[in-house]
Amino acid sequence: MFDHVEAFYRPSTIPEALRFLAKGHGRGRFVAGGTHVVVQADRSIRFLVDITRLGLDYVRQGSRACVVGATTTMAGIENSPAMLALANGILATAASTSGSVQERNMATVGGDLANASPAADIATPLLALDAVVVVADARGRRKIPLADFFSGPHRTVLGRALLVEIVVPAPPRGGRVGWSFQKLGRTESDISVVNVAAGLQVDLRGCCRWTRIALGAVGPTPLRARTAESRLVGQRFDRDVLERVCDAVAREVRPITDLRASAEYRRQMSLVLTRRALEECAARGGCPL
Amino acid sequence: MKTMQVCLNVNGESKEWSIAPGDLLLDVLRREGYFGVKRGCEAGECGSCTVLVNGKPINSCLMFAAQAEGREVLTIEGVEQGGKLDPLQEAFLEYGAVQCGYCTPGMILSAKALLVKHPDPTEAEVRDALAGNFCRCTGYLKPVEAVLAAARIYRQVGPSGARPRAKHRSALHGKKR
Amino acid sequence: MNANRSVVGKNLRKLDGFKLVTGRPAFTDDIHIPGLLYGKILPSPHAHARIKRIDTRKAKELRGVHAVLTYKDVPRVPHTTAGQSWPEPSPYDTYLLDSKMRFVGDRVAAVAAESRAIAEEALRLIEVEYEILPSILEIEQAMADGAPVIHDEPDSTGIHDAQTNLAGYILREIGNVEDGFRESDLVVEREFRTQRQQHCPLEPHITISWLDSDDRLVIRSSTQVPYHTRRQVAMILQISVQRVHVVKPRIGGGFGGKQEMLLEDICGALVLATRRPVKIEYTREEEFYMARSRHPQILNIKMGVKRDGTLMANKMTVLATTGAYGSHANTVQGNTGSKVLPLYRTPNMRFECHVVYTNTPVAGAFRGYGCPQGFFAQESVIDEIAQELGMDPVELRKKNMIRLGDIDDLSAQLGEGRKGLPRHVRSCGLPECLERGAAAIEWAVKRQTLPQTTGHLRRGVGVACSMQGSGIAGVDWASALLKLNEDGSFNLQVGAADLGTGADTVLGQIAAETLGVTLDKMIVCSGDTDFTPFDVGAYASSTTIISGGAVKKASEKVRDHLLRIASKMLDIPVDNLTCRDNQVVTKCECEKSVSMEDLAHYAMYKEKVQVMENASHWNTDSPPPFCAQFAEVEVDTETGQIRVVHLVTAVDLGVAINPMQAEGQSEGAVAQSLGYALTEEMVLDASGRVINPSFLDYKMLSAKDMPKLTTILVETEEPLGPYGAKSVSEIPINAPAPAVANAIYHAIGVRFRRLPIRPEDVLPALREKELPSPQRS
Repeated sequence: MFDHVEAFYRPSTIPEALRFLAKGHGRGRFVAGGTHVVVQADRSIRFLVDITRLGLDYVRQGSRACVVGATTTMAGIENSPAMLALANGILATAASTSGSVQERNMATVGGDLANASPAADIATPLLALDAVVVVADARGRRKIPLADFFSGPHRTVLGRALLVEIVVPAPPRGGRVGWSFQKLGRTESDISVVNVAAGLQVDLRGCCRWTRIALGAVGPTPLRARTAESRLVGQRFDRDVLERVCDAVAREVRPITDLRASAEYRRQMSLVLTRRALEECAARGGCPL
Repeated sequence: MKTMQVCLNVNGESKEWSIAPGDLLLDVLRREGYFGVKRGCEAGECGSCTVLVNGKPINSCLMFAAQAEGREVLTIEGVEQGGKLDPLQEAFLEYGAVQCGYCTPGMILSAKALLVKHPDPTEAEVRDALAGNFCRCTGYLKPVEAVLAAARIYRQVGPSGARPRAKHRSALHGKKR
Repeated sequence: MNANRSVVGKNLRKLDGFKLVTGRPAFTDDIHIPGLLYGKILPSPHAHARIKRIDTRKAKELRGVHAVLTYKDVPRVPHTTAGQSWPEPSPYDTYLLDSKMRFVGDRVAAVAAESRAIAEEALRLIEVEYEILPSILEIEQAMADGAPVIHDEPDSTGIHDAQTNLAGYILREIGNVEDGFRESDLVVEREFRTQRQQHCPLEPHITISWLDSDDRLVIRSSTQVPYHTRRQVAMILQISVQRVHVVKPRIGGGFGGKQEMLLEDICGALVLATRRPVKIEYTREEEFYMARSRHPQILNIKMGVKRDGTLMANKMTVLATTGAYGSHANTVQGNTGSKVLPLYRTPNMRFECHVVYTNTPVAGAFRGYGCPQGFFAQESVIDEIAQELGMDPVELRKKNMIRLGDIDDLSAQLGEGRKGLPRHVRSCGLPECLERGAAAIEWAVKRQTLPQTTGHLRRGVGVACSMQGSGIAGVDWASALLKLNEDGSFNLQVGAADLGTGADTVLGQIAAETLGVTLDKMIVCSGDTDFTPFDVGAYASSTTIISGGAVKKASEKVRDHLLRIASKMLDIPVDNLTCRDNQVVTKCECEKSVSMEDLAHYAMYKEKVQVMENASHWNTDSPPPFCAQFAEVEVDTETGQIRVVHLVTAVDLGVAINPMQAEGQSEGAVAQSLGYALTEEMVLDASGRVINPSFLDYKMLSAKDMPKLTTILVETEEPLGPYGAKSVSEIPINAPAPAVANAIYHAIGVRFRRLPIRPEDVLPALREKELPSPQRS
């Protein structure tokens, strides 16, 4: 399958990795876990640059953010104490349901983001948490909010840069906060038909102080349902409001029909999963509906 | 065609192989005689090609051989020790968990990695560990029972333990007509 | 009955188990052959097209390419690829390579090259100009006026009516169904649709072939039918059968997909063209659309009953497609009638079936062989009738089901392509299957208390029954050869094909039991056309009963010879001797004995005779196994998702030679059937291309998806089977789908008549319907 590959580089620094990629003149590819590069079997690839030995496998909990190295695997995220503690563990949950044990041991968060599948489970909670992607190229490092990172299905603004790490800002502080990740597939181990990551804070009067609602597999990229979010903020968090917000989500998503599910089914499930996610957020925040 | 060298440890032995840069680990392992590593889908879906790399189950069909540099690889051939079957292998035989056997090496390796991390797994944990090993023959029940039985043996006697003693819970037999 | 037996009926470890758990080389590809070339097939990109021009020059000139074959380079011999006894009852409508393409994936050309990469490159260099023809993808359009003729070639034979794309047609009637309907108090008529399911063996099809030192063509292949393959390859390549040697190593699953001569002919052709060893192995993608799959069917069932539940008439009308070629077309569909309708006694039965060609992937044998489709329809309608009559579905079945002593005349009309033989039910455990299965799922309680609602979740229970066959009466046959070694061990040579089913072990157990030795004394060698005697191969649930019958006969002959030798050694009459515990002992009190090892030494070095016998066996009947399956499901009324909570299988398999293996076979069949019910479907686009040829998008159930399984082996004693055995490898795949559909009805009051039952089909059905009050039985 990769019989035309002429060289396999194993750099030990980021500048070295970037130099090797540049040498390839467009026919080089970074590879980490291989779960996308190998499956896609792009026959035009002539050079492979292994980025798993650049020391980018880490989860560092700081006071204002948690920083995840790009070659941290789904298994690494799933088992990281920092990830389990962050936002009710929604990143760890998303990682744990992203595939089989073998896939989780190989797939990296950077690889999944660079591949930009609209259904990538890890992207949705990162979007809900306002994550920022740090990329490196010959000019140095840049930060790109994840919301601006995806430009279409399997398209990003990455170009020939290297995705280095993902900065997850500490979620808003306070009590009565809950986060949830929900996923629906055809079987237990499946690409998401729909996934939802949500966060919610309910104040002492029962009103929503803030909310985040992100969805995957229902648009050309993972998306934030910002219109629906705005319908919830400031409102009393009760059943009626919840239903209206879920309706708003269903109207805001832009699903397609593919062989996994119809657009209509995805739209309906956006509503159902959002409801379940917000219910769980409220329950986890100690203020169940 | 360009070649490069890869140095790794396979089943406790140091190996230095000449490979093409685009070679996949599955292909190299089979070329080097490790026929127990199976080709089922070449897309990381079925798990027939599962090997342990530094103790972790991975799909060798998705790993470039060059990425195995300096790593420790365990294939099914390395599971038996000095001609003695591992309790997992014994349990798979005792519990009827092997039918065609094509998925068996991958399953045993996935189970082995699980039992190192979780010596006393629940059935749900066993099923999660095996979810990436497709089997079309068994319906998974007997493999799950075998893994749980092997776990009991490991806890009693350690990973290099004796034959499982737990009796197979046989089917209910009917009466003659 | 197994109380007096020491080997049969025991949960002994598989004879091939050691090499499988250690990963020793055992499968077709586990071999290094010097000079091996890699073969590859160029698939048609069009569903229906003629080759106007094909230019292989550039491909041939590519360095490392040793052969490029097109229809111009090979003999044109009409044949079927179906692995069936000669003369095969499938149309001879297939050609090694042809100038006409009849489905996306059909063979355009084949190459052999020094590496996989070069072979793939060579395919890309073959230049083909096609005349694209209008194609037929929908079953209902195949026979329409003006439909393009898919098989317009003059030299094919056995097609019922090529001009109307009718591969096969079956009509059988007993009594008069119209009279039966007139006498009925309730008539229910429903239509059902079933989908394309793929076998998904973990080991794709693979063949390695070479010319040996005697210039004979050796074919090492993952096949269920070594002998049929030998015959067919010889015919297609126009060489003698004598010159072909087929070897079957361990097989990584087949399920009927390998009851086919699929790659062996083209691989052999490449070997003859290059005079080098050649390997062809399907990728997983090719396995999906270039192998075989289950026949999709549209079934119309009409059943009429009296108010008291007595079945008066049963009429089934089927429209099926066999895809582009007619492999197994008549026989699969024949089974849909012959094995399904007779489950319930009625004086009036009618089965009519049209099997049409479409420009779609080729259908073939798949575990159950027409029964899963038929039972999905029939068991759903019976359930609906029970509901209408206010009867418990189990009671309605008990009232009408076939019984011990019955004779099934429909089978007499529907043999494998020729006049069949009437089926006598000489063993029947179906009542016990229903009783014990019902108890295991707590049927009585749950029919009353369910459907209970827990929030958005609703549960229900359902039942379905089925029968199958054990071998094809008057057609399937087998032989076995047994020889004694000087240490008291035996070589058992059988043509039977163990495809992971445990056949080698079961046959070894039958021999060991008969010889009075332990299983570890048996060395079983199977599926080699030079070294094992004939066997039709592994299909039709024939191995235990037919191959086992031959093994038992051969073993009895050997035992008789052993007793005669022992009689001489001990100076005791043969009548007073028996074999037991690896020795020959006296029946009386005097307790003289001789070990099998000593006996063997005596035979070899004193008598100077090789104790060796062979026997052949076939049956004039096909004793049906019976099965009752119960499902408990939970429906999420918000998402439409269906979770099977518990699936109970109670199966009358005759006597279980190895109960543990029998359970395993049942559990695997259930897993395939649950996939058939809920998640598996090969999807074609508007151009006839399979759009989900991968495990990512063709969803099988994994270890995390499987429900709780209960397997109950109900034993009866079948006179026609060795030690009373019938079969178990197919039957449990027949009824989980209708059991699940019936349970869904119990849970939410909606009937689904199309498979698979997907969540997004459930939601609109729920919306249209108010949720019913709890079901009364």
